[in-house]
Parts: sequence; C-alpha cells; structure tokens
Amino acid sequence: MFSILSYGRLVARAVLGGLSQTDSRDYSLVTASCGFGKDFRKGILKKGMCYGDDACFIARHRSADVLGVADGVGGWRDYGVDPSQFSGTLMRTCERLVREGRFVPTNPVGILTASYCELLQNKVPLLGSSTACLVVLDRSSHQLHTANLGDSGFLVVRGGEVVHRSDEQQHYFNTPFQLSIAPPEAEGVVLSDSPDAADSTSIDVQLGDIILTATDGLFDNMPDYMILQELKKLKVFL
Amino acid sequence: MYPMLTFLSMFYYFCLRRRARSGTRGEIMNSRRAIESNNRILPLSVEVVQYAKEVVDFSSQYGSENSLSYTMWNLSGLPNVYPSSGDFTQTAVFRTYGRWWESCPSSPLRFRRAPRSFRSQEYVELVFEEAVYPTAIDVLETYHPGAIVRILACSANPYSQTPPSDIRWETLWAGDPAKVNISQARQFTPCIKQLNFMTNLIRLELNSSLLDYYTELDAVLLHGVRERLRSLHKPSMLDLDDYDKDDHSLEFFTGRFTGMTLPEYTKNGYFETLPYELIQLILSHLTVPDLCQLAQTCKLLHQHCYDPLQYVQLSLQPYWTGLDDTSLEHLQSRCAHVQCLNLSWTGNRGSISMQGFSRFMQVCGFELVRLELACCHFLNETCLEVIAQMCPNLQELNLSSCDKLNTRAFCHIAKISGLRRLVVYRTKIEQTALLSILNFCLELQHLSLGSCVMVDDYDLVASVIGAKCKKLRSLDLWRCKNITENGIAAIVSGCRLLEELDLGWCPTLQSSTGCFIKLARKLPNLRKIFLTANRSVCDTDIEELATNCPHLFHVDILGTRMVSPGALRKLLQFCKELCLLDVSFCSQIDSRVVQELSANFPNVSIKKSYTQ
Repeated sequence: MFSILSYGRLVARAVLGGLSQTDSRDYSLVTASCGFGKDFRKGILKKGMCYGDDACFIARHRSADVLGVADGVGGWRDYGVDPSQFSGTLMRTCERLVREGRFVPTNPVGILTASYCELLQNKVPLLGSSTACLVVLDRSSHQLHTANLGDSGFLVVRGGEVVHRSDEQQHYFNTPFQLSIAPPEAEGVVLSDSPDAADSTSIDVQLGDIILTATDGLFDNMPDYMILQELKKLKVFL
Repeated sequence: MYPMLTFLSMFYYFCLRRRARSGTRGEIMNSRRAIESNNRILPLSVEVVQYAKEVVDFSSQYGSENSLSYTMWNLSGLPNVYPSSGDFTQTAVFRTYGRWWESCPSSPLRFRRAPRSFRSQEYVELVFEEAVYPTAIDVLETYHPGAIVRILACSANPYSQTPPSDIRWETLWAGDPAKVNISQARQFTPCIKQLNFMTNLIRLELNSSLLDYYTELDAVLLHGVRERLRSLHKPSMLDLDDYDKDDHSLEFFTGRFTGMTLPEYTKNGYFETLPYELIQLILSHLTVPDLCQLAQTCKLLHQHCYDPLQYVQLSLQPYWTGLDDTSLEHLQSRCAHVQCLNLSWTGNRGSISMQGFSRFMQVCGFELVRLELACCHFLNETCLEVIAQMCPNLQELNLSSCDKLNTRAFCHIAKISGLRRLVVYRTKIEQTALLSILNFCLELQHLSLGSCVMVDDYDLVASVIGAKCKKLRSLDLWRCKNITENGIAAIVSGCRLLEELDLGWCPTLQSSTGCFIKLARKLPNLRKIFLTANRSVCDTDIEELATNCPHLFHVDILGTRMVSPGALRKLLQFCKELCLLDVSFCSQIDSRVVQELSANFPNVSIKKSYTQ
C-alpha cells in the first residue's frame, strides 16, 4: 500500500487586532505533503509529487485552495502499463486546471471530470486507472467542498477529534471505484467508473481545523487513534 | 614661476568650483550629455515585463474547443514547457503545418497578385494587462520554431470602456518564414520598431510552410515602458525598415485623389499605341495598391486601372489592417464583375460594418463564384442573408473560424443551391441548418465540418451526407465527437467519389466494428485518410487500406498501439504515391523502425513526434 500524508491548517491572514471565530477574511491552507512507494530499493525519483503509484497535488487560486490525491491501480503492471502514469497525469492536470482558474469551487466533481477529459485529449495513448480524492477550500465562504471516487479519502480533525471523514467506494474487495482509460480491445472488460460517480460533500470548517487527504495506504495501516496522535503533535497557531 | 603657480592655482580653483556646482562625477556626465542633446535630463523609465493575459482571437487551433490541450489558451500566462522542447499538451498549436493541406487536390486555388511581403497563414491576438510602449517582444517557441512572420500592435485597448475612435495596427516586425535547424526550444526576440502609441494588444502572424511538423508556442512576453523613451541618438528614418510601406498605399483605397481632375494635355507617347489587351495584361501583374497608385498617373492608365476586368480576382486579405467601409465603397465601382473575392481576416473591431458589406455585396455579388470570409467577425445573420440573395452564382464559401456568427445565420446558406465548397470549421452551426444545407446544396464537392461543436448527432448528419451529397470529393470531420460506424457506413456507401476523409480525433469510431475495413473497400479513389488519435486502428485496417486504396498519398495514424512495422511496410509497398505518413505516438513504431522505413521508401515523409 502506498501512503500519502497531506494535512492542511486553516490560518487567517494578516491579523491586526485579534481574531474571532466568525472572521470574515479569506481562509487559506498551510500545506505539506509526503509519501513513500512500496519499493524502497528502487529509488526511482519521480517528477513532482509522485510516490510509487500514487500522486498528489496542491494548488492555489484566488478563490480556493485545492488538495488532491490519486491512487494508481497496480494491476496494470501485469499488462506492461506503468500505473503511476495515469494517476500522476490526472493530478498534474487537476493542478493546472485550478491554477488557470478553470473550475468552480463549489463543484470539485467538475474538476475531476474536466481533468479526465483532458487526459483523453493527450496525443500520447495513456492507459491505466486510479482513484481520486479532491478537497477544495472555498476561501470566502469558509466551506470545504470535496469529491471522492474510490477508496482514497480525507479526514477533518478538530480539537483532536475526527469531525468528518469520507466514505469508501468499492465494487468488491480490493476493487475500488476508479477512473480509467482502457486499451480498445479491453473496452468492455476493464472497470471504468464515470467521474460523476464520485461522492460529493460540502462541510463547514473553522480556523485551526486539520484536513488530511490520503490514499488507502495510510488508512489501511494506521488506525484512527494513531493518526490523531501524530496530528496532535502539530502546533496550531491562531 | 610665480605666474605659473598663480595660473595653476586659478586653474585648480576653477576645477573645484565647477565640480562643486555639478556635484558628483556622474552628474557631470549627465550635464555634458544634456548639453550635447539639447534636452532636459529625463528620469530613466522603468521597464514593464508582462506575460499575455488573454488570447482574444486566432485563426485555428489543433486542440478541442474548451480544452486545455494543444489550444491557444496555453499562449496566455506563464510558460508551461519552456525551456524543454517537445510535443506537449500545454502549448499553443495551430491546426496545420507545412504544405500538405495546400497540396491536396481539394484545396482551393491560390489568389494571384498576392504581395510578396504578405506571407501570413495563421494568426493569434493577445491582450496584456497594461498598455505600454513596446521595447521588446519575446516569443517562447518550444517545438519546430521559425513560423512567425509578422508581429503587429494595435492602438485600441480591448479593456477600455469607451470604444476607440481610430484603430491603427502597426507592424513591429516582419520577416520570412524560417526553418530553424536546432530542435531545441528557443526564445524568439526580433528587433522591433519603436511605436508612438501605447499598446496592449499584440498580434502574431505565422507561416509554417517550411516546417517539418506542427510548431508549438508556449508564452509571449511584452517588454515596454510607460513613458516614451526620447532616444538620445536619433536613428535616421532610413535605418528602420518601414514594414508598413505597403500599407501606406492603402490610402489610395480610400480614394483621396478621386476628386482631382487630371490635366487634359497629358499624352502617353508610344504607350498609347499598345493594344488595350496588352496593357491590361501588363497591369494584371500589379498588386491592387499598385494599381490604385498607377491610376493616378494619367487618364489612360486611370481608365485601365479602373477596368473591372482587373478585379475579377480580388484578394484583400493582405490589406486587412487598413480595409474599412470607405475602402469597400471606393472599390465598388470597379468590382461589378468580381468572381473570386478574399475578405478573410478583414473588418474586425468595427472597420467594416454590416451595411458597408451589404452595399458592397449588392453591387458586386452577382458574378461572385468564390467568397472567402475566414475569421470575419463583422459578419452577422443579415450579411449571410445578403450573400444568399445577391450571389446566385456562388460556388465556394469559406466561413472558417467565424465563431461569433450566431446559429440562425447558417440557415441562409441553404438558399445557395450551386454551392460546391463549404467550410464551416470552428463555427457554431447547428444540426438543423446543416441538414437543410445538405438537403438543398446537392452540388457539394468539398465540405469541412471540423470542430463544429454545436452539431449533436453526427451519425444523422453522416446519413444525410451519404444520401444527398453524391458528388462529395473531400470531407473534413475532424473532432466530430460522436460519429460511429453507422455514420461511416452511410458516408462510404453514398459518396463513392470521396477522395479525402479526415476523421481525426473521433474517439467513438471502433476498429472492431469493421468500419475502417468497409471504408477501405468502398473508397478505391481514397487519397487522404486521417485517423489521428484513433486508438483502435490496427494492422488489419492498414492492410485493407494498402490493398484497396492504391492512390493514398496522405495518411495519419497518430497514437495507436496496435499497428506494427509489418503492416506499415505493406502500406508503403502498395501505395506508391504515398508522401505523408504520420506515425507519432504509435508505440510499436520506434525511431529505429522509422529510420529503416525512411531509408527504404525515400519519397515518403514519415513523421514521428516526441515529447521527451
């Protein structure tokens, strides 16, 4: 399993005279990311935020901050396809869409759909599949809009407790919902979910909340209490 | 000795005084310069460097409308690829390159009398945030550089609230299309002319006819200053290339001199004894502005230059910067017999109005056979109605990239029953209008529906094409998103004369349905087949094309994983006329195979693009 840790803190900008909970200023994320591939020996340095078959991105725009993770489905390796190509390109395309402002903060599924369509516009015949989890912090409305397709997910931690978590989407064991591009001869055989199948939620967030997005590599290996223990170590500056 | 000392001390005293007055050494330099140039010392202007904020207009693009990949959208903002080079999605790419499209049998004839200085085939217009006096322009080219032939600046600011009264376009730089030998990305910074107005609207014009593959642009930087630099060394006017010298003659279009009466006593000597037709033949080699200038010399030549027979073929595209309603009005009297008219790229930003165009069509439309109106954003529904009414003999109509034209305008085209060529690439034509055109224009031989995103059901359109357009010779269905094997079956059964078929980026066509095999078997005259980015094209399809279509000369099978070198070898052996074969991103065809095939078949240009 691969894991990616990505946590964000909400910090208000330029505080001049104290801060109230109902601050009307724009929120933003303080971010970090980390990950480990399954095979330490390989030591392949992948470009950008690619760890093993997983990929992630952090992107900022005037209206929103966006985090995303994608878990490349490893089964493709048996057919000679590098699983990280799909997840990496998906995340990099999402990042570009956000940077260029071609998205609506309240519609994270739209970002996934647009990114998936862009993958099909590539001259290079991409193959592979991955899960995807996107969280969008709407700066002005102080809401977190999320989209989750598959078994990656996110947690929102407040005051040392999990206040919100995503649901896993699985067809059956070890077969999560996934976006995929299949070779033409395997069109009907390969599992391919539409981006519209993603779960979408909107959550109110407060200053000091920690948002963690990760692939199943984290959630399958670390129980909640251990994750919370680690997150407690983060100092929250208000 | 004493006089010497006194003299020296006086000298020293004067130097000190002078120094005290002028301050530091630096200021001494300035004051000397001030004396030399006779100007006040100006503060140094701060140079502003900007990336493009927005792309506002362009003639074509490779990518899909609303996509981020290979579209003009990528030209704005920061560079995404530079300094890497390669065929990347995050660059701006035009639809065509080289001479391949020109050399197709279906391509329209070139207009004669094009001025040699006008080489532009494509353009893109960019707006920057702040208007400045430009000092330099950098274009970051990341793949096959060398296509830029002209850079222009406009005096109008698209972001200003008040519409500008007088819009001027000045050429900052012009040059020949080049084929740059280095395969790396480059920053193209030509030496640009100084402007006397501020600008934030820049236009690049390109010609990629010498290039081996698509050129790709990453970003454009505009360096400028907020206050006009008064140069201390005034370059003589002869030093600067006057790129607009052809455009200066545009004033003759506006007929400033029509009011003049030419003196009666001018005699033309032996010139007059030449037969009328011979003088006409000599004049037929002059470009239109030269004709207008020549008309002012004497009454005889005035008569010759205003003879409508000189205006049977009229291309006004090279003069798009200065063409306006007044020019059209002035040309009207001479254009009653015009048959081929090229107004592509003209009239934007208000220089030609609907009324001006309609008046021109009313006078000059009767004998019109060919009308080019590519990128003419002044067109509206009324204009098309006028065309349909006033041009009963029209056979060729080009409305390429007229993306501001509303959908109802296209309904009028159905009234032009003699239409043989229709190009509506990148327009908003809808299904109803298209179907009515197909039903009434039964003489259609060339139809381009590339990137027409508002058509919903291409299978239905294809079935009508197959049923009605029996004379069709070329069909462009580039990026026709939902055409399936049923549509293809209808086309190939009905249009037996079809020679050119572009099915690039049509993802819903699946080879497993046998549609390509059927296509090959039913179209023995096929010369051009583009199956770009159809990932299902396989060896069987290539072999069927090889055995059934011996006259193939352009083939594009970019991006399929299923074609092997053996099938390509068969194609090359059987199709002796093949000259273009694009196998970019075909995973089984690596560069070694391409080298081997190129060596064995030297007449074929085998293209293999790369991303690196």
